[in-house]
Amino acid sequence: MRNPGENHERKVLWMLRDMPILPLLVGSFLLAIAFVPHFCTVYNLKNYLLQSADLLIISCGLTFVVLNGGIDFSVTSVLTLGSVLGAYIMALSPLAGSPALSIPVAILAMMAVGLLVGLVNGLSVTRLRMPSFVATLATQLIVLGLAVQFASLVSDTASIAGLPEAFFVLGGEGRYFFVPILIAFSVWLFSHWLLARTIFGKRVYAIGVNPKASFISGVPVKKTIVQLMIISGLFAGIASIVATARNQVGMPSLGDKMFLTTIASVIVGGTSTSGGFGGVGKTLLGVLFITLLNNAMNLLGVGWEVIMIVLGALIVVSAAGEYLLNHRQGRV
Amino acid sequence: MANVALQLSDVRKAFTGVQVLHGINLDLRAGEALGLVGENGAGKSTLMNIIGGVIAMDSGRMSLFGEPYDPRSPLSATELGIAFVHQELNLFANLTVAENLFIAGFPKTWFGAIDRRAMRRKASECIARFSLPVTPETKVESLSVGIRQMIEISRALMRNTRIMIFDEPTTSLSKREKEKLFKTINELKERGISIVYISHILEDVFRLCDRITVLRDGRIIATAPAADFSESQLIKSMVGREMTHLYPTVEKAIGSTVLLEASRISWQGIVKDVSLKIREGEIVGIYGLMGAGRTELAKVLFGVEQLDKGEVTMNGVKLARLSPEICIREQAAFITEDRFNEGLLSTKPVDDNLDLVKMADLQNRMGVVNVGERNRLNQQAIRDLQIKVSDSKRQLVNSLSGGNQQKVVFGKWVMKKPRILILDEPTRGVDVGAKFEIYTIILNLAKSGSAILIISSEIEELIGTCDRMLVMKHGVVTGDMPKSEFDREKILGLAL
Repeated sequence: MRNPGENHERKVLWMLRDMPILPLLVGSFLLAIAFVPHFCTVYNLKNYLLQSADLLIISCGLTFVVLNGGIDFSVTSVLTLGSVLGAYIMALSPLAGSPALSIPVAILAMMAVGLLVGLVNGLSVTRLRMPSFVATLATQLIVLGLAVQFASLVSDTASIAGLPEAFFVLGGEGRYFFVPILIAFSVWLFSHWLLARTIFGKRVYAIGVNPKASFISGVPVKKTIVQLMIISGLFAGIASIVATARNQVGMPSLGDKMFLTTIASVIVGGTSTSGGFGGVGKTLLGVLFITLLNNAMNLLGVGWEVIMIVLGALIVVSAAGEYLLNHRQGRV
Repeated sequence: MANVALQLSDVRKAFTGVQVLHGINLDLRAGEALGLVGENGAGKSTLMNIIGGVIAMDSGRMSLFGEPYDPRSPLSATELGIAFVHQELNLFANLTVAENLFIAGFPKTWFGAIDRRAMRRKASECIARFSLPVTPETKVESLSVGIRQMIEISRALMRNTRIMIFDEPTTSLSKREKEKLFKTINELKERGISIVYISHILEDVFRLCDRITVLRDGRIIATAPAADFSESQLIKSMVGREMTHLYPTVEKAIGSTVLLEASRISWQGIVKDVSLKIREGEIVGIYGLMGAGRTELAKVLFGVEQLDKGEVTMNGVKLARLSPEICIREQAAFITEDRFNEGLLSTKPVDDNLDLVKMADLQNRMGVVNVGERNRLNQQAIRDLQIKVSDSKRQLVNSLSGGNQQKVVFGKWVMKKPRILILDEPTRGVDVGAKFEIYTIILNLAKSGSAILIISSEIEELIGTCDRMLVMKHGVVTGDMPKSEFDREKILGLAL
């Protein structure tokens, strides 16, 4: 019935539908190598990967929530509170004198922040039946407020410096640049494994497509939502470790510009905002693309405001692209 | 020659190389009711979507009252006087009846605000004409499907409609509402409006239509006055083979163990004090009109809604709390009446639907799903239930015909080897051939010892498959009879 040409067209359409970002990423990368001065240097490429690392970790967590048909606005606030709290423990608290003790405590505290905020989000959504949009917007504000308040209480300066040298290894200091990349890659691999191989992942997708049908089919909908909200928070906590170590200070402004890039990475990567379609594979491409854009535009001396406009436009284009491709598919 | 309202000549359509319509020629005369019948997948929906401007034809010509007709969008079709009453209703549940009626064009005051008084007045006239039990301010979400549909018809009538297309309009109507609909359709005909009536219920098609067109595999097999067809001829030309039996015969025995027992169940004043017992191998039917509380009973039994009073025992275990998860643990299964919203992940591939219930059993301690075993079970279900799918990994469920979609829902549950099955309208929107296969699946499950509860609004279906029948009316069980006492008149009498 089908001739080979149409089959080929279907394959291309399928790939475009599945990974529209891939050709874009490759193309932009080649363009950057060709036209952006200092892009293709060891120093910058290393920088590029380091910039991608914490964004990838936080975006992986958000991907779970978006796949489930929700959103988590609180991730960047977790990043900020984690950073401030961790820096306090390592630089100012009574433990600060012994890095061997303060570093692990700080790391645990930063992860605990994420875990706790995630749990609160999850319970608000399942027990209080709040839309994740509302629940996480509330925690975003509360947690950010706490971070700023806490920072101003413990320190007179805008950021908390004086962190132990050993901690910077986690941020890729010097010859340890592979450490954050390794952490990010592990988080990504773990996320991918969860989504592709485990029953939890299958449930995330099922609920994202049709929560009612999933419930009737015996899927523990509420439990799954709490779990994925915790994952999202926890990953934000891990990202906060890497980001704080890379910046070498704890600062209440750490998450400020991060939210747009995080959400852009997930959406431009190709995970559907209506839930059920996408994955961390796409998010990886999204992260690499968005970071590339940031990196190249910085090298070209383009201001943050222009980057914001470009990011916003990209979100519109990819959402429209998703709609058009799905629409076409729907008619096939 | 009678005045032709809509003429189609050599209309063709293909989707990515698969020819769906092979040169359709069709005349719809002014003021006639034309029945369009055919199995799911015959091309009825595609044809209607072309007429309605939802999709474009590849080649061919259409003319509307002599004028060339090639709608660019559903809106232009509406403006030219073609109205649809769909299987899935297109009302806004969160708006009121009046707002829904005028959604395409609200009456305005001189400065452009919505004229609420005029809207209410006109809506009231419309409601009175159909004697609907609503007020203009009633929110649509609180109304039954039957009433919603009457509102949708009224809405179409308020426009200058010349052709009305009904797609399975009666599947969710009560008997009385159906009579009202038929009366309305006859009035429409008298006013010169042409009707295209699509339905699987051949009895209705015969009653209502002047001519019948049979579509099979994208071709028109026959168009003739309704009086020239017999029911068996019609079925034969629809399926392309002789259908001697509508219901399969399977030898089975009813055991003595009670697998599902409900005692004195009540819920929200809709289900009142219902008790029932189903033994292994037994098929019990529940007949009732719309609003009798049948679907609600099923939902309560499976823990989708929490019961207010009463007890449910499954497999001999008295359940303190009911939820789908708990019922599944007791080897129960629930096939809902609303396949699209409650049964399927319709935008996902067949494989991801089939494993949804079973996958909890396919995980190891780490929660990793055994993919090999899953694929094997999926393939087995596809084979056992004869689900027509070419690539179960890729093919989306919503690309399947209604019958095959329903088989996917069955497959999802059958994989779990259920001992108790609750089936709510198991053959809704399913064509004749697939119905037979679904009855076979049900009877074979009973043969293997499962207890089965079938809820249906088709008496024939229950008479054809059940061992015992309960009749429900206003939430109460009004009748309980063994197969030997099945009698159409009596059953209807108990339900009305």
